[in-house]
Amino acid sequence: MTTLTRQDLNFGQVVADILCEFLEVAIHLILYVREVYPSGIFQKRKKYNVPVQMSCHPELNQYIQDTLHCIKPLIEKNDAEKVVVVIMDKEHHPVERFVFEISQPPLLSISSDTLLSHVEQLLRAFILKISVCDAVLNNNPPECSFTVLVHTRNSAMRNMEKVQVIKDFPWIVADEQEVHMQEPRLIPLKTLTSDIVKMQLYVEERAQKM
Amino acid sequence: QAATEPSSTGDKQVVLLPCKTAPSRQRVRLWLEARKQYEALQKGIRRAE
Repeated sequence: MTTLTRQDLNFGQVVADILCEFLEVAIHLILYVREVYPSGIFQKRKKYNVPVQMSCHPELNQYIQDTLHCIKPLIEKNDAEKVVVVIMDKEHHPVERFVFEISQPPLLSISSDTLLSHVEQLLRAFILKISVCDAVLNNNPPECSFTVLVHTRNSAMRNMEKVQVIKDFPWIVADEQEVHMQEPRLIPLKTLTSDIVKMQLYVEERAQKM
Repeated sequence: QAATEPSSTGDKQVVLLPCKTAPSRQRVRLWLEARKQYEALQKGIRRAE
């Protein structure tokens, strides 16, 4: 058994790598399940030992990768409180928000050999929940789009600055209408508690979508 | 804007989003149609050979 702290070199990076890889799979799957894009661009792959649908559209894939690249330094420093996948209608008003609430414990007692397989098992459960979430959600209006929001602190924004410039992928502070939804229906999907991360996923769904 | 209440240290919570937007559904649909046409064309060429 090894005891590590968040200050240990590479620990934050390991957690950020695991979470960003998971978020990439989750975003692709949400876009597929919620029919944001035509199903023809998705291909079946295996992640976390379960089948998932991943886009093969180069521009979309690049967009998702660039987004997560910019978020990664925040996750590394435990500065990303929430990562939210927002699905918006034609008028750019949110209809659904998939909220990933993330927190990392300051002190860890982990056994490295069991760590990864345990986390993989927990993340698999999230993926399975996302795959079937359309059963508990109402249909979205046609021609929806999506964006990703990150909830952080002012002081943490500088952690993103370098990667924004490198990637030519700038970020701005969101408008109120992009963040809040009127009287949303709350649907909890999954909670994960592990040695390295705590994560909760829920969906906020607008009452009147059409 | 979505900057919210200050914390005890004066460090405000902020909600950020990318300036760039994801490719539109219409743009992706056109790409998919073009890809299907290209694949059909390739099949036709291979059959002709």
